Amino acid sequence: MSNSKAPLAIDIEAVCLSYGDVSILENVSLSVKEREFLAIFGPNGGGKTTLLKVLLGFVKPEHGRVEIFGRPPAEARELIGYVPQILRFDRQFPISVLEIVLMGCVSKTTLWGTYPRDFKTRALEVLALVGMEEFASQSFGTLSGGQLQRVLLARALMGNPQLLILDEPIASVDQAAKEEIYRILLELKTKTTIIMVTHDLQSILQKCDRLLCVQRQATFMAPEQICEHFAWGLYHLPSAPPQSR
Amino acid sequence: MFDFLSLHPFLATALAASIVASLAGGMMGSYIVAKRIVFLSGSISHAVLGGMGFFLWLKRVYAVSWANPIVGALISAVISAMLLSWIHNKYRAREDTLIAALWSTGMAIGVVFTALTPGYNVELTNFLFGNILWATSGDVALLGLLDLALLTGVLCFHKRFLTICFDEEQAHMQGIAVQPLYTLLLCMIAVSIVLLIQVVGAILVIAILTIPAAIASMLSNRLSKIMVIASGIGCLFSTSGVIISYELNWPPGATIALIAALCYLLSLLNYPMSKTRKIWTFRFRQSVKE
Repeated sequence: MSNSKAPLAIDIEAVCLSYGDVSILENVSLSVKEREFLAIFGPNGGGKTTLLKVLLGFVKPEHGRVEIFGRPPAEARELIGYVPQILRFDRQFPISVLEIVLMGCVSKTTLWGTYPRDFKTRALEVLALVGMEEFASQSFGTLSGGQLQRVLLARALMGNPQLLILDEPIASVDQAAKEEIYRILLELKTKTTIIMVTHDLQSILQKCDRLLCVQRQATFMAPEQICEHFAWGLYHLPSAPPQSR
Repeated sequence: MFDFLSLHPFLATALAASIVASLAGGMMGSYIVAKRIVFLSGSISHAVLGGMGFFLWLKRVYAVSWANPIVGALISAVISAMLLSWIHNKYRAREDTLIAALWSTGMAIGVVFTALTPGYNVELTNFLFGNILWATSGDVALLGLLDLALLTGVLCFHKRFLTICFDEEQAHMQGIAVQPLYTLLLCMIAVSIVLLIQVVGAILVIAILTIPAAIASMLSNRLSKIMVIASGIGCLFSTSGVIISYELNWPPGATIALIAALCYLLSLLNYPMSKTRKIWTFRFRQSVKE
C-alpha cells in the first residue's frame, strides 16, 4: 500500500509516437520511483533517444500521458538535468570548462547578461563533485572523452536536478573514466532519480535498480533476466515473465 | 609620416569608417566562425543586393528621395536573417539548399532591378566592390551608432548567444526562447554585414567578417577574447588596406581582403604545429599528474 502511494518521478501511460509512417514507440507505459536508478537499453533505432526526448518534452507523443513529478515534461524542466552524448559537440568550439558548466543556469543571467556572483562558486562546487575543478579554465577541445562527460554531468547538476537523464554517458570513454562516472552516479543516486541509456549491460547490471528494454515497446527487466545474448546486441523478450510497470 | 591625412581629409574619414566597421565585424564574425555559419552569412551578404537594386530603381525611376540603397540593403539583410532563422527552425534537414536558394534569389532580384534602372549605376558598383573613400562624417557617425547598438546587444545577450551557438538543446532545456534569440543573433550579423559592405563591398564582405575571427580563434579559446582580438585584427587589416591602396592606387576593398587572406594563410601555416604541440603538452602534463 505504501509503495503505491510513493511519489513517482516518471509516470508514462500508453504513449504512442511515429515519424511519418514509421512507428517509433507503441503503447509505452512505465513508472519510475524517486531515487531509482533505471538503465535503458535496446537496439539502435529501437526508440531509446525518442523516449528521452519525450521525457524532456522536446517531442510530444501522439497518444498517451507523460508526467514528470506530476507535471507535464515542458513544465518540469527545471527539475531535470540532461547529459547528452559528447560526440555531437564541435571540439573546436572556443569555450572553457567553467563556461560550459555555467550554461546549466544560463536562464538565470541578470538583465545585463552576467551570472549572479554565487553561480561561479556553485559551478566550482559541482566541478569538484565530478573531480574536474582543476580544469575550470581549460579549453573544451583539450579534454579527453571521460573528462568531457564529467563536465557535461557537472553542467546538468548546476540546477540541483531531481531527475538526471543521461544519454550513453559511457560510450567512447575508457574503463577508468567509465568507473569514475559510475562512482559519481552511485553517489548521486541517494538524492536523485537517474535514467541512463546505455549499451554497456555488463557494467550496469550491478549498479542499476531496474532495466528497461526499448524496442518500439518498453519491457522492464530485472538484472537476473538479462540474457548474455543482449551483450552481443541480440535483444529479445526475457525468458522469465517480465516485471509489471 | 601621416602627412597624407592632412592633405586628403577624406582618407581620415575613410580610416575612421573602416575602424568602426571592423569593430562590428570582429564581434559578430566571432559568432559566425564559432557556430560555423559562414555559408549562411555569405547568403545574407549577397541577398542584400536585392534590396539595394530595388531601392536604387525606386530612387532613379520614381525619384523616391528616401530610397537610399544602403537602407534597402539593411532592410533586405534583416528580412534575409529572419527568413534564415525560420528555415533553421522548420527545415533544418534542407537548410544548406535553402540558404543557397536565398543567396541566388537575392542576387537575381538585384540584377533585374539594376537592368531596369537607367544610366550607369556607379552606386551599385561601389556597393558590390566597396569604396570606403566615399564615406562621409555622417556615415561614420551612423556606423558608430550601429556599433554601439551591436555592442549593447552582445553585452546583454552574450551568455545566451554562447549557449545557443554551442548547444541549442541545452538552451531549450533552460527554457530559453531559442528561436527569437537566434533570429536576433542573425539580425545583428545582418547589420554588421551592411556596415562592412560600405568598406569592402558585398562580394568581399565575408572575408573581412570571418578572417579576423578565424585568426583570433587560433590565439584564444574563449569567445569573448576572440571578439576583442578579432576586432583589433580587423582594424589593423582595414587601416593598413586603406593606406596601402592609397599608396599603390589599388581599390581599397580588394586590398583589405587581400591583406586579410595573406595574413590568414601565414597564420594557418604556423597554426597546426603550435596547436598540436599545445594539446600534447597539456595531455602529457595530465598523464604525469595522474
